[in-house]
Amino acid sequence: MKQFTKIALLTLAIFICLILPNQSSAKIYIDIDSPSFQQFPIAICDLNNISSGATQSTNICVSLADEIKKYLSMTGIFNILNKNSFLEKMEPGNPEAIEKVYFPDWSLIGADYLVRGNISQKGKHIIVDTRLFDVTRSELIMSKKYTSAYGNQKDLAKNIASDILLALTGDEGEFNSKIAFVSKNNDSSDIYTIDYDGSNLTKITNHQSLIMSPRWSPDNKYVAFTSFKEGTPKVFIKNLQAKAERKVAAYEGLNLCGSFSPDGKYLLLTLSKEGIEDIYSLNVETLRLNRLTHSYSIDVSPAWSPDGSQIAFVSNRSGSPQIYVMDADGNNVRRITYEGNYNTSPSWSPRGNRIAYEGRVYGRYQIFSIDIEGNNLIQLTFDNADNESPSWSPSGRQIVYTSKTASRSRICIMNANGLNIRFLNEKANRSVMPAWSSRFKK
Amino acid sequence: MMKKKMTMMGILLVAVFSLALFSGCAEKKAVVAEGTAQEQSSAAQDAAKLSAAAAQEALKDINFDFDRSNIGPEARGIMKANADILLKNSDFNIIVEGHCDERGTSEYNMALGERRAQEAKKYLINLGVDGARMKTISYGEERPLDSGSNEEAWAKNRRAHFRVVQ
Repeated sequence: MKQFTKIALLTLAIFICLILPNQSSAKIYIDIDSPSFQQFPIAICDLNNISSGATQSTNICVSLADEIKKYLSMTGIFNILNKNSFLEKMEPGNPEAIEKVYFPDWSLIGADYLVRGNISQKGKHIIVDTRLFDVTRSELIMSKKYTSAYGNQKDLAKNIASDILLALTGDEGEFNSKIAFVSKNNDSSDIYTIDYDGSNLTKITNHQSLIMSPRWSPDNKYVAFTSFKEGTPKVFIKNLQAKAERKVAAYEGLNLCGSFSPDGKYLLLTLSKEGIEDIYSLNVETLRLNRLTHSYSIDVSPAWSPDGSQIAFVSNRSGSPQIYVMDADGNNVRRITYEGNYNTSPSWSPRGNRIAYEGRVYGRYQIFSIDIEGNNLIQLTFDNADNESPSWSPSGRQIVYTSKTASRSRICIMNANGLNIRFLNEKANRSVMPAWSSRFKK
Repeated sequence: MMKKKMTMMGILLVAVFSLALFSGCAEKKAVVAEGTAQEQSSAAQDAAKLSAAAAQEALKDINFDFDRSNIGPEARGIMKANADILLKNSDFNIIVEGHCDERGTSEYNMALGERRAQEAKKYLINLGVDGARMKTISYGEERPLDSGSNEEAWAKNRRAHFRVVQ
């Protein structure tokens, strides 16, 4: 009998162990990383104005909903349903109406998710009370109240979209991130930053010279870059708040900016001061150098892994430029790309598992991603342009890159699977070398 | 007899006089010749000064194959001529510029341009040019000679250029 109890307990324990991880992962409603992923149909209703004496036609009810839709569609994982197709109408002005959902009316129009909310004005503030429903399971997923200064609608929409994304995917997305890039004008170029939504274009340097390779520090306080302002290529670090600039590498020959370590203490560089282009790690505070590669070949474009333990880089030691990975101290070098004879510009996913790069196929440059063992190669772009300089979003779900044709080069964002391409700034014709920041604190 | 002596003296005198005259003439000529020599040597100095500009004309670019930095057979002849110019004119320095065509990555091209410049510099050192007279700079793909997007333009743009500096 005792034996039986033991076995029963053991079986139960194993059963619980098997079930627990499933339960925790079940909280993520959308697994957008599954190969079979398709965009999720979501219905977003105009907000319900519950302020006393308010007319339902208040602009903000519509415009805020539109802003939320705009942000959600930027993620590339939602199919935003047209509100003209909605069957169920809410009782205007009734605060309880948002909770009363007749789910068959929503599944009939193909919605998997439904967003509703009340809006009211209190002095100079607006209060928005939102609900997110899972239509197929007929249940409430999220209920959250927001208070915001009137006129700060954009940030409010951004926060709501971010929370919806977090509830459904377990990740808040890229809404509070920026992209730095070079705006080219022959020998008179400069670096700009722009928000994820394509707004807030800001010039951050005033070098009017050849300038390249902007790289964010992990805390987003600094941008490092290479500039020919003083005639030869030197590396500078710009403090974005104090607007101050510091020259950190001015050795003879090439001084090319690489990437910051995840702790922000080191900056990888390519220097040719010994007559060979090799990779060095620069202590940002003491400016002490540590040489990491010693090969006679070109070693360039180093990118740190998110945990700081490894570095991806380009080397032509095999005769053509290929992507290599080494330990952070320069040991244990291994080649990871074997397809094609021109693979450059590695960018390490913040999730740590993949490296994006550009490779030459049929005379064109296209974006690829590959896992860090060198397996599971995927070509992400296929169009008739040169697609270059990939950089991952903070969530690792999107990639920004340059799309160059004979007449223009533009910054594009796509999903990590290559779908849902959008141009970041239609007006900027000669933008290159984008670098995605980490998330700014709200 | 006396008359004969006198005549002899007279001839001698004339001879000496004319000799003196002649030598004076020669002296004058020498002065003139010296003058032209001075002019010539200052002209030679001018030529050396000019030769910085002339050398800039004479120093020819070398070209590279796509994604390569080795000095090819055609480039070797040019490099020999470039080295001769540099060896004969040691009063100026040069900057060896490395350039690439527009294809490929800007960053990788910046490194490749530097490598081309370094290889060219090394080649000149092997031909006897003092390494201290040469610095390298890469402009990657950023300063094309020909802005076209075709094989001809790309071939022209993949180059090392030798810029004379005083």
